[in-house]
Amino acid sequence: MAALYLLIPAAFLIVGVALYLFFWAVDSGQYDDLDSPAQRILFDDDDPAHHAGVEQAERRRDER
Amino acid sequence: MINCYHCQLPVAYPGRYRASVAGQVCEFCCPGCQAVAETIAAAGLEQFYHYRDGPSLNPRELARPALAELAVYDRPDLTAQFTHSAGQGREATLRVQGITCAACAWLIERKLGQLPGVQQVQLNLANHRLHLRWQAPALGLGELIGQLQALGYGAEPWQPDTASDALAAENRSALRRLGVAGLLWFQAMMATMATWPEFNLDLSPALHQILRWAAFMLTTPIVFYSCGPLFRGAWRALRARHLSMDLSAALAIGLAYGAGIYTAISGQGELYFDTVGMFALFLLGSRYLERRARERTLVGSQGLARLLPATCLRCVPGAEAERVLLAELRPGDRVQVPGGGQVPADGVILAGQAQLDEALLTGESQAQARGPGEAVNAGTLNLGSALLIEVTATGSGTRMSAIMRLLEQAQAQKPALAQWADRAAQVFLGSSLLLAALFGAVWSWLDASQAFWVVLALLVATCPCALSLAIPTALTAATASLQRMGLLVLRGDVLENLNRIDTLVLDKTGTLSEGQPTLQQVLELGAVPAAKALDWAAALQAPVDHPLARAFGPSPVVAEAVHSEPGRGLEGVVAGQRLRLGDPAFVSQLAGTAAPKLPTNHGQWLLLGNGQGPLAWFAVHDRLRPQAPALVDYARARGWRVLILSGDRSPALAEVAAQLDVQAEGGLTPEQKLSALQRLRAEGRRVLVVGDGANDAPLLAAADVGIAMGAGTDLSKARADAVLLSNDLASLPRAFALAARGRRIVLQNLAWAALYNTLVLPFAAFDLITPAWAALGMSVSSLAVVLNALRLGRTPPATAQEVPTWPRSTC
Repeated sequence: MAALYLLIPAAFLIVGVALYLFFWAVDSGQYDDLDSPAQRILFDDDDPAHHAGVEQAERRRDER
Repeated sequence: MINCYHCQLPVAYPGRYRASVAGQVCEFCCPGCQAVAETIAAAGLEQFYHYRDGPSLNPRELARPALAELAVYDRPDLTAQFTHSAGQGREATLRVQGITCAACAWLIERKLGQLPGVQQVQLNLANHRLHLRWQAPALGLGELIGQLQALGYGAEPWQPDTASDALAAENRSALRRLGVAGLLWFQAMMATMATWPEFNLDLSPALHQILRWAAFMLTTPIVFYSCGPLFRGAWRALRARHLSMDLSAALAIGLAYGAGIYTAISGQGELYFDTVGMFALFLLGSRYLERRARERTLVGSQGLARLLPATCLRCVPGAEAERVLLAELRPGDRVQVPGGGQVPADGVILAGQAQLDEALLTGESQAQARGPGEAVNAGTLNLGSALLIEVTATGSGTRMSAIMRLLEQAQAQKPALAQWADRAAQVFLGSSLLLAALFGAVWSWLDASQAFWVVLALLVATCPCALSLAIPTALTAATASLQRMGLLVLRGDVLENLNRIDTLVLDKTGTLSEGQPTLQQVLELGAVPAAKALDWAAALQAPVDHPLARAFGPSPVVAEAVHSEPGRGLEGVVAGQRLRLGDPAFVSQLAGTAAPKLPTNHGQWLLLGNGQGPLAWFAVHDRLRPQAPALVDYARARGWRVLILSGDRSPALAEVAAQLDVQAEGGLTPEQKLSALQRLRAEGRRVLVVGDGANDAPLLAAADVGIAMGAGTDLSKARADAVLLSNDLASLPRAFALAARGRRIVLQNLAWAALYNTLVLPFAAFDLITPAWAALGMSVSSLAVVLNALRLGRTPPATAQEVPTWPRSTC
């Protein structure tokens, strides 16, 4: 049980660091928008159809 | 019927507006949609049409100032006001209108990201704010807003005001409090559990003491930091002499914390620190979720500003009119209001004949004629020719602001929102305090040393853990399924109040009717076929920005020299002949014949004629929403009194009332509407109001339940208890049914919480319960409550005709 003498201060230290990080994250606006990132991931920029569209548009622009 | 590929509105002229999107030729309803689709296709972003999950807004629904107007934002002083430098570039935040789904964010971010010099584009879907960072001196704010308009969105610079700053700060502090409670509770729980004999058989007394103090140190910030607002709320309730949910929670947390301190010092009794953390986490968590849900619904409804144009033309003597921002306007300035433009401020007409559409303020659907020397109000629409007005009041001095103040009053009169939860808490709190006192007295007579522990165990075991979950979880689940039905609930007491309604008050224009005139019928009078007459009439209407013009739709031919005779009609040259459209007497004048008789007295008829005589009749109606009769029937079947209160003075109101067979009062000012409502409430009636206009806003705020139409003004939505996003009146009866189910489930939850507490009570009262068993019992009881509430998330299957789908266009 002597390990507890070390583990209790360690727990305090870890929770202190965690709180510091959490406050920093909140204050720097990381939690301000909880909806958009979840939606953004759904749009696949590597979607071949999307790539084809962009390439085609570029080709049309070049032709002009 | 073909629907527009972009906005899904019916295409009136197939083949006229076409564009190639993703290799297919698609039909559009208007040049606006066509242009937007072409822009999207030219940027290679056609996938947008695959990604989106609903139709886009028709561009003409949005305020879209001309590019010349947008140039005002490139004035150096305004650029400095709306953008700020970041490194070598500039940053700005815009508020975007017309966002319908997440694909809009994708489209905007990709399209603006393609512009040279643009470094960062980020759209927040929760508040529709677009954050931009760019590094190109030639690229101005006006150009960026123009780009957004080309994509079919409206935008204006957004500046934080004190209210939105305060809200953001509150949100962050609520999240911090929640995080602190969560992180510290895990630790406190571990320290506390280590002291339980069930878990630990060989703990030395010294370590026991260390663990007690460790738990104490971990719990203290939860009590004083995380639960600070809770204690302040409880104190306020106490001073106002009533029992509230805050009070019962604060009492439980305070007592458990106090008992924990006593145990930490004396080493006797049970450690209750983990209970403190658990309560705090549950309570703060549910409140944070509620806060987020509420905030999301208030997007873009920050009142006055959105109802007025962003810029206006100020006339300076001896110089050309200059375009200025509304905020720069001062009383005494002279302002030019173009035909079809919105009046930017209250004022007096100096020159010009006005036809004013005051529907926004009064609900009156007929345009009002005004001449020089007469007053005009901010927010009204000028349907006549250009006007010159002298400004008498701007911003908060306008009549529109007066309406806003009126509804703030109305809102203040509304009973406290959390009343329901409070009532339940009062019953629970009252009875558990009474029982605790009773058993405390009995025990102090039997065994004084145990009395305190029995009282505490009793209070904690019967504490509002399940109760605090019973109501919020059921409300959250019900709210989520209502949202799927298209009804967005903004305030928690809607579900409860819906169950007590006995009177339904409806607005006419925009609520029972669609709020936009539609062409119902064309009657040809011989000389030309109906289709040709319609083309000509549409050509005459095309240059006019008027709700009626929208009814006629676009035209394949072009009219020249169109001018409007206020209150009478339009005159112009189409296909080489002079035509008039409008009032029969005015039109017949052209041919010098007597005015023909109206085909029927029903609805509004416009006559088209040329120099030879009348050509065709057009019937224009503000059509009743198809679901309106069903709603009225439903209300009547439930025995409610149904009443129409409208600002409209026209005979159309009587027609609608007759069609639905309900009582109606017309020509009411917002003040009169409000007093009519107050009379109803004074009779002891519980009133549900469904409305859409700014003039309905006070009514919505003062009603027991106010539901705004999704297509309504922002002002009405901001003050309503719920918003019918789908504009589908048929979903209201289903929402009422769900509200009834929600109430049943809340009652079940409360009953279960009460049952659990009654079962556990004897054990606590006779000192038979250990903390481990109490924790287990509490968790099971809470879980049961949550699972029961989640049943509300399962909506009953909608019948086929009710399924709200939008036809995906196939070109």
